[in-house]
Amino acid sequence: MIAKSLRDYRRALIGWTIGISAFMALYLGVYGNIKTNPDIYGPQALAKFPGALKDLMGGLEDFTSGAGYLQSVVYQLFVPFLFLACAMIIANRALAEPEEAGTLELVVTLPIDRRRLVLERFAALVAGLVAVAAVTLLITWVMAEAVGMGVPFDRILAAHTGVLLLGLFFGALTLALGAATGRKGPAMAVTGVWAVAGYVVVTLGRSVDAIAWLKWASPFHYYAAGRPLHEGLPVADYLVLAGAAAVLALTAVLAFDRRDVGV
Amino acid sequence: MTAVVRAEGLTKYYGRRRGLEDLDLEIQPGEIFGYLGPNGSGKTTTIRLLLDVIRPTRGRITVLGAGSREPAVRARIGYLPGELALEGREKARDYLRFLGRVRGGVPPGRIEELAERLGADLGVPMAKLSKGNKQKVGLIQAFMHEPDLLILDEPTGGLDPLVQQEFLAMVREVRLAGRTVLMSSHVLAEVEHVSDRVGIVRAGRLVAVENVAALREKAVRRVELHFDAPVPPEAFAGLPGVRDLRVEGASVRCTIDGRPDALVKAAARFTVVHLVSAEPDLEEIFLTYYGDEGRHDDRQVVA
Repeated sequence: MIAKSLRDYRRALIGWTIGISAFMALYLGVYGNIKTNPDIYGPQALAKFPGALKDLMGGLEDFTSGAGYLQSVVYQLFVPFLFLACAMIIANRALAEPEEAGTLELVVTLPIDRRRLVLERFAALVAGLVAVAAVTLLITWVMAEAVGMGVPFDRILAAHTGVLLLGLFFGALTLALGAATGRKGPAMAVTGVWAVAGYVVVTLGRSVDAIAWLKWASPFHYYAAGRPLHEGLPVADYLVLAGAAAVLALTAVLAFDRRDVGV
Repeated sequence: MTAVVRAEGLTKYYGRRRGLEDLDLEIQPGEIFGYLGPNGSGKTTTIRLLLDVIRPTRGRITVLGAGSREPAVRARIGYLPGELALEGREKARDYLRFLGRVRGGVPPGRIEELAERLGADLGVPMAKLSKGNKQKVGLIQAFMHEPDLLILDEPTGGLDPLVQQEFLAMVREVRLAGRTVLMSSHVLAEVEHVSDRVGIVRAGRLVAVENVAALREKAVRRVELHFDAPVPPEAFAGLPGVRDLRVEGASVRCTIDGRPDALVKAAARFTVVHLVSAEPDLEEIFLTYYGDEGRHDDRQVVA
Protein backbone atom coordinates (compact mmCIF):
# COMPACT_ATOMS: atom_id res chain seq x y z
CA MET A 1 0.00 0.00 0.00
CA ILE A 2 2.82 2.42 0.86
CA ALA A 3 4.61 1.70 -2.39
CA LYS A 4 1.36 2.17 -4.30
CA SER A 5 0.71 5.53 -2.63
CA LEU A 6 4.22 6.69 -3.40
CA ARG A 7 3.76 5.68 -7.02
CA ASP A 8 0.57 7.73 -7.10
CA TYR A 9 2.34 10.74 -5.58
CA ARG A 10 5.38 10.34 -7.83
CA ARG A 11 4.66 13.12 -10.26
CA ALA A 12 3.72 15.61 -7.56
CA LEU A 13 6.80 14.77 -5.51
CA ILE A 14 9.12 15.12 -8.49
CA GLY A 15 7.46 18.37 -9.47
CA TRP A 16 7.85 19.92 -6.04
CA THR A 17 11.43 18.70 -5.74
CA ILE A 18 12.29 20.35 -9.04
CA GLY A 19 10.44 23.52 -8.04
CA ILE A 20 12.17 23.91 -4.67
CA SER A 21 15.53 22.95 -6.14
CA ALA A 22 15.16 25.52 -8.90
CA PHE A 23 14.36 28.15 -6.28
CA MET A 24 17.49 27.20 -4.33
CA ALA A 25 19.66 27.21 -7.44
CA LEU A 26 18.39 30.59 -8.54
CA TYR A 27 18.65 32.41 -5.22
CA LEU A 28 21.83 30.79 -3.97
CA GLY A 29 23.35 31.37 -7.40
CA VAL A 30 23.24 35.13 -6.97
CA TYR A 31 24.94 34.98 -3.57
CA GLY A 32 28.34 35.23 -5.22
CA ASN A 33 27.34 38.64 -6.52
CA ILE A 34 26.16 39.77 -3.09
CA LYS A 35 29.30 38.58 -1.33
CA THR A 36 31.53 40.55 -3.66
CA ASN A 37 29.46 43.74 -3.32
CA PRO A 38 28.69 44.00 0.40
CA ASP A 39 28.22 47.76 0.15
CA ILE A 40 25.21 47.40 -2.14
CA TYR A 41 23.46 44.71 -0.09
CA GLY A 42 24.90 45.61 3.31
CA PRO A 43 23.23 47.25 6.30
CA GLN A 44 22.79 50.61 4.56
CA ALA A 45 20.81 49.01 1.78
CA LEU A 46 18.70 46.99 4.17
CA ALA A 47 17.97 50.08 6.22
CA LYS A 48 15.87 51.35 3.32
CA PHE A 49 13.29 48.60 3.78
CA PRO A 50 10.26 49.58 5.88
CA GLY A 51 10.38 48.16 9.41
CA ALA A 52 7.28 46.03 9.08
CA LEU A 53 8.55 44.39 5.93
CA LYS A 54 11.83 43.63 7.64
CA ASP A 55 9.95 42.12 10.55
CA LEU A 56 7.94 40.00 8.17
CA MET A 57 11.13 38.77 6.58
CA GLY A 58 12.50 37.83 9.98
CA GLY A 59 14.52 40.96 10.57
CA LEU A 60 16.89 40.99 7.58
CA GLU A 61 19.73 41.83 9.92
CA ASP A 62 22.43 40.16 8.01
CA PHE A 63 22.32 39.62 4.31
CA THR A 64 25.94 39.41 3.33
CA SER A 65 27.31 36.54 5.40
CA GLY A 66 26.68 33.07 4.05
CA ALA A 67 24.62 31.92 7.00
CA GLY A 68 22.67 35.18 7.12
CA TYR A 69 21.81 35.05 3.44
CA LEU A 70 20.81 31.41 3.60
CA GLN A 71 18.67 32.13 6.62
CA SER A 72 16.89 35.19 5.20
CA VAL A 73 16.35 34.01 1.68
CA VAL A 74 15.92 30.28 2.01
CA TYR A 75 14.89 29.24 5.48
CA GLN A 76 12.94 32.28 6.64
CA LEU A 77 9.94 32.28 4.36
CA PHE A 78 10.12 30.84 0.88
CA VAL A 79 11.35 27.30 1.26
CA PRO A 80 9.29 26.48 4.36
CA PHE A 81 6.13 27.68 2.63
CA LEU A 82 6.91 25.86 -0.61
CA PHE A 83 7.54 22.71 1.38
CA LEU A 84 4.40 23.26 3.41
CA ALA A 85 2.30 23.63 0.27
CA CYS A 86 3.80 20.40 -1.06
CA ALA A 87 3.01 18.60 2.22
CA MET A 88 -0.54 19.92 2.23
CA ILE A 89 -1.22 18.77 -1.33
CA ILE A 90 0.26 15.31 -0.82
CA ALA A 91 -1.59 14.92 2.49
CA ASN A 92 -4.89 15.73 0.83
CA ARG A 93 -4.22 13.03 -1.73
CA ALA A 94 -4.16 10.46 1.06
CA LEU A 95 -7.85 10.53 1.99
CA ALA A 96 -9.86 13.69 1.33
CA GLU A 97 -9.20 13.95 -2.40
CA PRO A 98 -9.95 10.31 -3.24
CA GLU A 99 -12.98 10.45 -0.99
CA GLU A 100 -14.37 13.47 -2.85
CA ALA A 101 -13.58 11.83 -6.18
CA GLY A 102 -15.25 8.60 -5.04
CA THR A 103 -12.20 6.39 -5.54
CA LEU A 104 -11.77 5.80 -1.81
CA GLU A 105 -14.93 3.71 -1.62
CA LEU A 106 -13.31 0.72 -3.29
CA VAL A 107 -10.15 1.15 -1.20
CA VAL A 108 -11.97 1.00 2.15
CA THR A 109 -13.67 -2.22 1.04
CA LEU A 110 -10.30 -3.92 0.60
CA PRO A 111 -9.38 -6.36 3.37
CA ILE A 112 -7.33 -3.74 5.19
CA ASP A 113 -8.10 -2.36 8.58
CA ARG A 114 -9.05 1.31 8.31
CA ARG A 115 -6.53 2.32 10.97
CA ARG A 116 -3.81 0.57 9.04
CA LEU A 117 -4.91 2.28 5.85
CA VAL A 118 -4.50 5.74 7.40
CA LEU A 119 -1.17 4.81 8.99
CA GLU A 120 0.15 3.51 5.69
CA ARG A 121 -0.94 6.62 3.86
CA PHE A 122 0.73 8.71 6.57
CA ALA A 123 3.88 6.63 6.22
CA ALA A 124 3.81 7.29 2.47
CA LEU A 125 3.45 11.01 3.18
CA VAL A 126 6.46 10.91 5.52
CA ALA A 127 8.52 8.93 3.01
CA GLY A 128 7.60 11.32 0.20
CA LEU A 129 8.48 14.41 2.23
CA VAL A 130 11.76 12.87 3.39
CA ALA A 131 12.64 12.23 -0.24
CA VAL A 132 11.88 15.81 -1.27
CA ALA A 133 13.80 17.13 1.75
CA ALA A 134 16.81 14.90 1.05
CA VAL A 135 17.13 15.97 -2.57
CA THR A 136 16.65 19.66 -1.80
CA LEU A 137 19.13 19.40 1.10
CA LEU A 138 21.69 18.02 -1.28
CA ILE A 139 21.08 20.79 -3.78
CA THR A 140 21.34 23.44 -1.06
CA TRP A 141 24.58 22.03 0.21
CA VAL A 142 26.11 21.73 -3.28
CA MET A 143 25.05 25.28 -4.15
CA ALA A 144 26.32 26.62 -0.84
CA GLU A 145 29.68 25.01 -1.46
CA ALA A 146 29.76 26.21 -5.04
CA VAL A 147 29.22 29.88 -4.21
CA GLY A 148 31.45 29.70 -1.12
CA MET A 149 28.93 30.42 1.64
CA GLY A 150 31.07 28.88 4.31
CA VAL A 151 28.21 27.19 6.15
CA PRO A 152 29.09 23.69 7.38
CA PHE A 153 26.97 20.76 6.24
CA ASP A 154 25.71 19.85 9.71
CA ARG A 155 24.24 23.35 10.14
CA ILE A 156 22.45 23.17 6.80
CA LEU A 157 21.22 19.71 7.80
CA ALA A 158 19.93 21.13 11.08
CA ALA A 159 18.01 23.91 9.31
CA HIS A 160 16.70 21.57 6.63
CA THR A 161 15.47 19.10 9.24
CA GLY A 162 13.34 21.94 10.54
CA VAL A 163 11.79 22.43 7.10
CA LEU A 164 11.00 18.73 6.96
CA LEU A 165 9.42 18.71 10.42
CA LEU A 166 7.40 21.83 9.67
CA GLY A 167 6.12 20.22 6.47
CA LEU A 168 5.37 17.05 8.38
CA PHE A 169 3.39 18.95 11.01
CA PHE A 170 1.23 20.74 8.45
CA GLY A 171 0.93 17.58 6.35
CA ALA A 172 -0.31 15.66 9.39
CA LEU A 173 -2.71 18.51 10.16
CA THR A 174 -4.15 18.39 6.64
CA LEU A 175 -4.38 14.60 6.86
CA ALA A 176 -6.19 14.75 10.21
CA LEU A 177 -8.67 17.35 8.95
CA GLY A 178 -9.25 15.37 5.75
CA ALA A 179 -9.67 12.15 7.73
CA ALA A 180 -12.21 13.77 10.02
CA THR A 181 -14.23 15.68 7.41
CA GLY A 182 -13.58 13.83 4.15
CA ARG A 183 -13.30 17.18 2.40
CA LYS A 184 -10.15 18.77 1.09
CA GLY A 185 -11.46 22.37 0.99
CA PRO A 186 -11.79 22.79 4.77
CA ALA A 187 -8.56 20.85 5.31
CA MET A 188 -6.64 23.24 3.02
CA ALA A 189 -8.32 26.32 4.46
CA VAL A 190 -7.61 25.53 8.12
CA THR A 191 -4.04 24.47 7.36
CA GLY A 192 -3.42 27.58 5.27
CA VAL A 193 -4.83 29.96 7.86
CA TRP A 194 -2.91 28.34 10.69
CA ALA A 195 0.29 28.50 8.66
CA VAL A 196 -0.02 32.15 7.63
CA ALA A 197 -1.29 33.28 11.04
CA GLY A 198 1.45 31.26 12.73
CA TYR A 199 4.06 32.90 10.58
CA VAL A 200 2.76 36.41 11.17
CA VAL A 201 2.62 35.85 14.94
CA VAL A 202 6.30 34.94 15.15
CA THR A 203 7.46 37.73 12.84
CA LEU A 204 5.29 40.87 12.96
CA GLY A 205 3.59 39.76 16.17
CA ARG A 206 6.84 39.41 18.05
CA SER A 207 6.83 43.06 19.00
CA VAL A 208 3.10 43.28 19.72
CA ASP A 209 2.53 42.31 23.35
CA ALA A 210 -1.15 41.52 22.86
CA ILE A 211 -0.46 38.65 20.50
CA ALA A 212 3.12 37.72 21.29
CA TRP A 213 2.00 34.89 23.59
CA LEU A 214 0.27 33.26 20.60
CA LYS A 215 3.69 32.21 19.37
CA TRP A 216 3.36 29.10 21.54
CA ALA A 217 0.60 27.95 19.20
CA SER A 218 2.64 28.70 16.11
CA PRO A 219 4.55 25.83 14.52
CA PHE A 220 6.97 28.46 13.20
CA HIS A 221 8.03 29.23 16.75
CA TYR A 222 9.41 25.70 17.02
CA TYR A 223 10.70 25.72 13.48
CA ALA A 224 13.13 28.48 14.52
CA ALA A 225 13.41 29.96 11.03
CA GLY A 226 16.94 29.00 10.13
CA ARG A 227 18.55 29.95 13.44
CA PRO A 228 20.01 26.43 13.49
CA LEU A 229 22.37 27.70 10.79
CA HIS A 230 24.06 29.67 13.54
CA GLU A 231 23.21 27.66 16.60
CA GLY A 232 22.94 24.02 15.52
CA LEU A 233 20.11 21.55 16.07
CA PRO A 234 17.35 22.84 18.41
CA VAL A 235 16.44 19.42 19.75
CA ALA A 236 13.62 20.41 22.10
CA ASP A 237 11.83 22.58 19.53
CA TYR A 238 12.07 19.92 16.86
CA LEU A 239 10.76 17.30 19.23
CA VAL A 240 7.70 19.47 19.83
CA LEU A 241 7.06 19.61 16.06
CA ALA A 242 7.61 15.88 15.59
CA GLY A 243 5.45 15.06 18.61
CA ALA A 244 2.63 17.31 17.40
CA ALA A 245 2.78 15.68 13.97
CA ALA A 246 2.54 12.24 15.60
CA VAL A 247 -0.47 13.32 17.68
CA LEU A 248 -2.18 14.67 14.56
CA ALA A 249 -1.50 11.45 12.66
CA LEU A 250 -3.03 9.48 15.51
CA THR A 251 -6.03 11.81 15.46
CA ALA A 252 -6.38 11.09 11.74
CA VAL A 253 -6.37 7.35 12.41
CA LEU A 254 -9.02 7.54 15.10
CA ALA A 255 -11.21 10.03 13.23
CA PHE A 256 -11.23 8.03 10.01
CA ASP A 257 -11.83 4.73 11.77
CA ARG A 258 -15.16 5.79 13.23
CA ARG A 259 -16.64 7.65 10.30
CA ASP A 260 -18.94 6.95 7.36
CA VAL A 261 -16.98 7.26 4.12
CA GLY A 262 -18.23 9.18 1.12
CA VAL A 263 -21.56 10.32 2.52
CA MET B 1 -26.51 -23.84 6.49
CA THR B 2 -25.85 -20.41 7.90
CA ALA B 3 -26.86 -17.34 5.99
CA VAL B 4 -24.20 -15.54 3.93
CA VAL B 5 -25.73 -12.19 4.73
CA ARG B 6 -27.82 -11.57 7.81
CA ALA B 7 -29.17 -8.19 8.83
CA GLU B 8 -31.30 -7.66 11.91
CA GLY B 9 -33.08 -4.41 12.61
CA LEU B 10 -30.60 -2.62 10.40
CA THR B 11 -31.21 1.12 10.52
CA LYS B 12 -29.26 4.03 9.13
CA TYR B 13 -29.94 7.73 9.53
CA TYR B 14 -27.83 10.39 7.89
CA GLY B 15 -28.32 13.04 10.52
CA ARG B 16 -32.10 13.34 10.58
CA ARG B 17 -32.56 11.98 7.08
CA ARG B 18 -33.60 8.37 6.90
CA GLY B 19 -31.48 6.06 4.78
CA LEU B 20 -32.77 2.70 5.92
CA GLU B 21 -35.23 1.62 8.60
CA ASP B 22 -35.34 -1.66 10.45
CA LEU B 23 -34.16 -4.01 7.71
CA ASP B 24 -34.29 -7.74 8.35
CA LEU B 25 -32.74 -9.79 5.59
CA GLU B 26 -31.18 -13.20 5.13
CA ILE B 27 -29.41 -14.36 2.01
CA GLN B 28 -28.58 -18.05 1.76
CA PRO B 29 -25.45 -19.61 0.24
CA GLY B 30 -25.67 -20.18 -3.50
CA GLU B 31 -28.52 -17.77 -3.89
CA ILE B 32 -28.82 -14.89 -6.32
CA PHE B 33 -30.69 -12.14 -4.60
CA GLY B 34 -32.04 -9.21 -6.59
CA TYR B 35 -32.40 -6.05 -4.59
CA LEU B 36 -34.92 -3.78 -6.21
CA GLY B 37 -36.10 -0.29 -5.58
CA PRO B 38 -36.28 3.18 -7.09
CA ASN B 39 -33.30 5.51 -6.81
CA GLY B 40 -32.86 6.83 -3.30
CA SER B 41 -34.89 4.06 -1.69
CA GLY B 42 -32.03 2.65 0.40
CA LYS B 43 -30.40 0.05 -1.84
CA THR B 44 -26.98 1.62 -1.85
CA THR B 45 -27.26 2.42 1.87
CA THR B 46 -27.83 -1.27 2.59
CA ILE B 47 -24.93 -2.35 0.43
CA ARG B 48 -22.53 0.18 1.92
CA LEU B 49 -23.55 -0.94 5.41
CA LEU B 50 -22.76 -4.55 4.50
CA LEU B 51 -19.29 -3.49 3.36
CA ASP B 52 -18.60 -1.28 6.38
CA VAL B 53 -18.20 1.81 4.22
CA ILE B 54 -20.81 3.41 6.49
CA ARG B 55 -21.86 2.38 9.98
CA PRO B 56 -25.36 1.49 11.10
CA THR B 57 -27.29 3.72 13.47
CA ARG B 58 -28.86 0.57 14.93
CA GLY B 59 -28.99 -3.10 14.16
CA ARG B 60 -26.67 -6.01 13.50
CA ILE B 61 -24.96 -7.27 10.37
CA THR B 62 -23.23 -10.57 9.78
CA VAL B 63 -21.48 -11.21 6.48
CA LEU B 64 -19.96 -14.62 5.70
CA GLY B 65 -20.27 -15.54 9.34
CA ALA B 66 -18.33 -12.57 10.69
CA GLY B 67 -19.15 -9.04 11.75
CA SER B 68 -18.97 -6.52 8.91
CA ARG B 69 -16.22 -4.65 10.79
CA GLU B 70 -13.86 -7.59 10.31
CA PRO B 71 -11.40 -6.57 7.53
CA ALA B 72 -10.36 -10.13 6.65
CA VAL B 73 -13.89 -11.00 5.57
CA ARG B 74 -13.71 -8.43 2.79
CA ALA B 75 -11.10 -10.51 0.95
CA ARG B 76 -13.93 -12.97 0.28
CA ILE B 77 -16.30 -10.31 -1.06
CA GLY B 78 -16.34 -8.87 -4.55
CA TYR B 79 -17.86 -5.42 -4.60
CA LEU B 80 -18.97 -3.22 -7.45
CA PRO B 81 -19.90 0.27 -6.21
CA GLY B 82 -22.97 1.93 -7.67
CA GLU B 83 -20.99 4.94 -8.71
CA LEU B 84 -17.63 3.56 -9.57
CA ALA B 85 -14.92 6.20 -9.74
CA LEU B 86 -11.64 5.35 -11.44
CA GLU B 87 -9.12 8.11 -11.89
CA GLY B 88 -5.53 8.84 -12.59
CA ARG B 89 -2.86 8.01 -15.12
CA GLU B 90 -2.49 4.46 -13.91
CA LYS B 91 -3.49 1.83 -16.44
CA ALA B 92 -6.57 -0.21 -15.61
CA ARG B 93 -4.55 -3.44 -15.77
CA ASP B 94 -2.06 -2.23 -13.16
CA TYR B 95 -4.84 -1.08 -10.84
CA LEU B 96 -6.58 -4.45 -11.14
CA ARG B 97 -3.33 -6.25 -10.30
CA PHE B 98 -2.88 -4.01 -7.28
CA LEU B 99 -6.41 -4.75 -6.04
CA GLY B 100 -5.83 -8.45 -6.63
CA ARG B 101 -2.62 -8.45 -4.59
CA VAL B 102 -4.26 -6.68 -1.66
CA ARG B 103 -7.11 -9.19 -1.68
CA GLY B 104 -4.69 -12.07 -1.45
CA GLY B 105 -4.02 -12.95 -5.05
CA VAL B 106 -5.82 -13.62 -8.31
CA PRO B 107 -5.25 -16.73 -10.43
CA PRO B 108 -2.85 -15.94 -13.26
CA GLY B 109 -4.52 -15.03 -16.54
CA ARG B 110 -7.85 -14.43 -14.78
CA ILE B 111 -7.87 -10.68 -15.39
CA GLU B 112 -7.12 -11.08 -19.09
CA GLU B 113 -9.73 -13.81 -19.42
CA LEU B 114 -12.44 -11.61 -17.91
CA ALA B 115 -11.32 -8.62 -19.95
CA GLU B 116 -11.66 -10.66 -23.09
CA ARG B 117 -15.13 -11.92 -22.15
CA LEU B 118 -16.38 -8.41 -21.48
CA GLY B 119 -14.39 -6.77 -24.25
CA ALA B 120 -12.64 -4.39 -21.86
CA ASP B 121 -9.60 -2.38 -22.85
CA LEU B 122 -7.17 -2.50 -19.93
CA GLY B 123 -4.26 -0.69 -21.55
CA VAL B 124 -5.82 2.73 -21.13
CA PRO B 125 -5.16 5.17 -18.25
CA MET B 126 -8.16 4.96 -15.97
CA ALA B 127 -9.13 8.60 -16.29
CA LYS B 128 -9.53 8.05 -20.04
CA LEU B 129 -11.84 5.04 -19.79
CA SER B 130 -15.33 5.45 -21.19
CA LYS B 131 -18.28 4.94 -18.85
CA GLY B 132 -18.92 1.48 -20.25
CA ASN B 133 -15.28 0.49 -19.96
CA LYS B 134 -15.13 1.74 -16.37
CA GLN B 135 -18.08 -0.47 -15.54
CA LYS B 136 -16.31 -3.42 -17.17
CA VAL B 137 -13.19 -2.77 -15.10
CA GLY B 138 -15.46 -2.60 -12.06
CA LEU B 139 -16.98 -5.97 -12.91
CA ILE B 140 -13.56 -7.51 -13.49
CA GLN B 141 -12.29 -6.38 -10.09
CA ALA B 142 -15.44 -7.71 -8.42
CA PHE B 143 -15.27 -11.15 -10.10
CA MET B 144 -11.53 -11.71 -10.50
CA HIS B 145 -10.64 -13.15 -7.08
CA GLU B 146 -13.59 -15.59 -7.23
CA PRO B 147 -15.16 -14.30 -4.03
CA ASP B 148 -17.68 -16.26 -1.97
CA LEU B 149 -20.04 -13.29 -2.02
CA LEU B 150 -20.54 -10.81 -4.82
CA ILE B 151 -22.22 -7.52 -3.97
CA LEU B 152 -23.05 -5.61 -7.13
CA ASP B 153 -24.72 -2.21 -6.99
CA GLU B 154 -26.50 -1.48 -10.27
CA PRO B 155 -24.09 -3.71 -12.21
CA THR B 156 -25.54 -3.29 -15.69
CA GLY B 157 -25.50 0.50 -15.85
CA GLY B 158 -23.63 1.72 -18.91
CA LEU B 159 -23.21 -1.73 -20.46
CA ASP B 160 -24.47 -2.45 -23.94
CA PRO B 161 -26.91 -5.39 -24.34
CA LEU B 162 -24.33 -7.93 -25.54
CA VAL B 163 -22.07 -7.24 -22.58
CA GLN B 164 -25.10 -7.41 -20.28
CA GLN B 165 -25.75 -10.93 -21.57
CA GLU B 166 -22.14 -11.90 -20.91
CA PHE B 167 -22.40 -10.43 -17.42
CA LEU B 168 -25.55 -12.43 -16.68
CA ALA B 169 -23.75 -15.56 -17.89
CA MET B 170 -20.95 -14.78 -15.42
CA VAL B 171 -23.50 -14.42 -12.63
CA ARG B 172 -25.02 -17.80 -13.50
CA GLU B 173 -21.56 -19.41 -13.40
CA VAL B 174 -21.07 -17.98 -9.93
CA ARG B 175 -24.31 -19.60 -8.82
CA LEU B 176 -23.28 -22.93 -10.38
CA ALA B 177 -20.10 -22.77 -8.33
CA GLY B 178 -22.29 -22.44 -5.23
CA ARG B 179 -21.29 -18.87 -4.50
CA THR B 180 -23.69 -16.08 -3.58
CA VAL B 181 -24.70 -12.86 -5.33
CA LEU B 182 -26.51 -9.79 -4.11
CA MET B 183 -27.27 -7.40 -6.95
CA SER B 184 -29.30 -4.24 -6.91
CA SER B 185 -31.25 -2.63 -9.68
CA HIS B 186 -34.09 -0.24 -10.23
CA VAL B 187 -35.34 -2.26 -13.18
CA LEU B 188 -36.89 -5.67 -12.58
CA ALA B 189 -36.06 -6.78 -16.12
CA GLU B 190 -32.34 -6.54 -15.33
CA VAL B 191 -32.43 -9.02 -12.47
CA GLU B 192 -35.47 -11.19 -13.04
CA HIS B 193 -33.77 -13.64 -15.40
CA VAL B 194 -31.02 -14.58 -12.98
CA SER B 195 -32.44 -13.92 -9.53
CA ASP B 196 -33.87 -16.60 -7.30
CA ARG B 197 -35.46 -14.13 -4.96
CA VAL B 198 -35.92 -10.40 -5.07
CA GLY B 199 -36.31 -7.96 -2.22
CA ILE B 200 -38.17 -4.75 -2.85
CA VAL B 201 -37.09 -1.71 -0.91
CA ARG B 202 -39.00 1.52 -0.86
CA ALA B 203 -38.48 4.71 1.12
CA GLY B 204 -35.93 2.99 3.35
CA ARG B 205 -38.02 -0.07 4.14
CA LEU B 206 -37.93 -3.58 2.78
CA VAL B 207 -41.55 -3.97 1.70
CA ALA B 208 -41.41 -7.47 0.28
CA VAL B 209 -39.17 -10.42 -0.40
CA GLU B 210 -40.55 -12.69 -3.10
CA ASN B 211 -39.28 -15.42 -5.27
CA VAL B 212 -39.16 -14.31 -8.86
CA ALA B 213 -41.83 -16.62 -10.21
CA ALA B 214 -44.34 -15.35 -7.63
CA LEU B 215 -43.48 -11.75 -8.42
CA ARG B 216 -44.05 -12.27 -12.10
CA GLU B 217 -47.50 -13.68 -11.36
CA LYS B 218 -48.30 -10.51 -9.52
CA ALA B 219 -46.88 -8.24 -12.16
CA VAL B 220 -49.14 -5.87 -14.03
CA ARG B 221 -49.00 -5.76 -17.76
CA ARG B 222 -50.39 -3.18 -20.15
CA VAL B 223 -51.97 -4.84 -23.13
CA GLU B 224 -53.17 -3.32 -26.35
CA LEU B 225 -55.20 -5.29 -28.89
CA HIS B 226 -56.16 -4.19 -32.39
CA PHE B 227 -58.85 -5.92 -34.40
CA ASP B 228 -59.85 -5.82 -38.05
CA ALA B 229 -63.27 -4.35 -37.15
CA PRO B 230 -64.82 -2.46 -34.21
CA VAL B 231 -65.56 -4.73 -31.24
CA PRO B 232 -68.43 -4.48 -28.75
CA PRO B 233 -67.22 -3.20 -25.34
CA GLU B 234 -69.46 -5.73 -23.54
CA ALA B 235 -67.30 -8.58 -24.89
CA PHE B 236 -64.45 -7.43 -22.64
CA ALA B 237 -66.38 -6.11 -19.67
CA GLY B 238 -66.02 -7.85 -16.32
CA LEU B 239 -63.13 -10.16 -17.29
CA PRO B 240 -61.23 -11.41 -14.25
CA GLY B 241 -57.89 -9.65 -13.75
CA VAL B 242 -58.59 -6.95 -16.33
CA ARG B 243 -58.56 -3.32 -15.22
CA ASP B 244 -58.59 0.14 -16.77
CA LEU B 245 -60.43 -1.17 -19.79
CA ARG B 246 -60.87 1.20 -22.73
CA VAL B 247 -62.55 0.04 -25.90
CA GLU B 248 -62.35 2.50 -28.78
CA GLY B 249 -63.63 1.22 -32.10
CA ALA B 250 -61.32 -1.57 -33.22
CA SER B 251 -58.84 -1.25 -30.38
CA VAL B 252 -58.83 -2.41 -26.78
CA ARG B 253 -56.46 -1.12 -24.09
CA CYS B 254 -56.29 -2.48 -20.59
CA THR B 255 -54.09 -3.50 -17.68
CA ILE B 256 -54.00 -7.10 -16.54
CA ASP B 257 -53.03 -8.46 -13.16
CA GLY B 258 -51.28 -11.77 -13.32
CA ARG B 259 -52.41 -14.18 -16.01
CA PRO B 260 -53.67 -12.87 -19.35
CA ASP B 261 -55.76 -15.97 -19.95
CA ALA B 262 -59.27 -14.49 -19.74
CA LEU B 263 -58.39 -11.57 -21.97
CA VAL B 264 -56.81 -13.79 -24.61
CA LYS B 265 -59.88 -16.02 -24.69
CA ALA B 266 -62.22 -13.05 -25.00
CA ALA B 267 -60.14 -11.59 -27.83
CA ALA B 268 -59.96 -14.90 -29.66
CA ARG B 269 -63.57 -14.49 -30.74
CA PHE B 270 -62.53 -11.60 -33.02
CA THR B 271 -59.80 -11.23 -35.61
CA VAL B 272 -56.68 -9.87 -33.89
CA VAL B 273 -54.42 -7.91 -36.23
CA HIS B 274 -51.97 -6.55 -33.68
CA LEU B 275 -51.05 -7.30 -30.08
CA VAL B 276 -48.81 -5.22 -27.84
CA SER B 277 -47.89 -6.36 -24.33
CA ALA B 278 -45.51 -4.15 -22.41
CA GLU B 279 -43.05 -5.78 -20.03
CA PRO B 280 -44.21 -5.48 -16.45
CA ASP B 281 -42.45 -2.58 -14.91
CA LEU B 282 -41.33 -2.41 -11.35
CA GLU B 283 -42.91 0.91 -10.65
CA GLU B 284 -46.30 -0.56 -11.46
CA ILE B 285 -45.77 -3.50 -9.13
CA PHE B 286 -45.11 -1.00 -6.39
CA LEU B 287 -48.21 0.97 -7.20
CA THR B 288 -50.42 -2.08 -7.33
CA TYR B 289 -49.21 -4.18 -4.44
CA TYR B 290 -47.11 -2.06 -2.16
CA GLY B 291 -48.43 1.38 -2.97
CA ASP B 292 -50.48 1.79 0.19
CA GLU B 293 -47.70 0.66 2.49
CA GLY B 294 -45.28 2.88 0.62
CA ARG B 295 -47.46 5.94 0.90
CA HIS B 296 -48.01 5.21 4.55
CA ASP B 297 -44.25 5.10 5.04
CA ASP B 298 -43.73 8.38 3.27
CA ARG B 299 -46.05 10.11 5.67
CA GLN B 300 -44.24 8.82 8.71
CA VAL B 301 -42.58 11.58 10.61
CA VAL B 302 -38.85 11.08 11.03
CA ALA B 303 -38.07 11.00 14.72
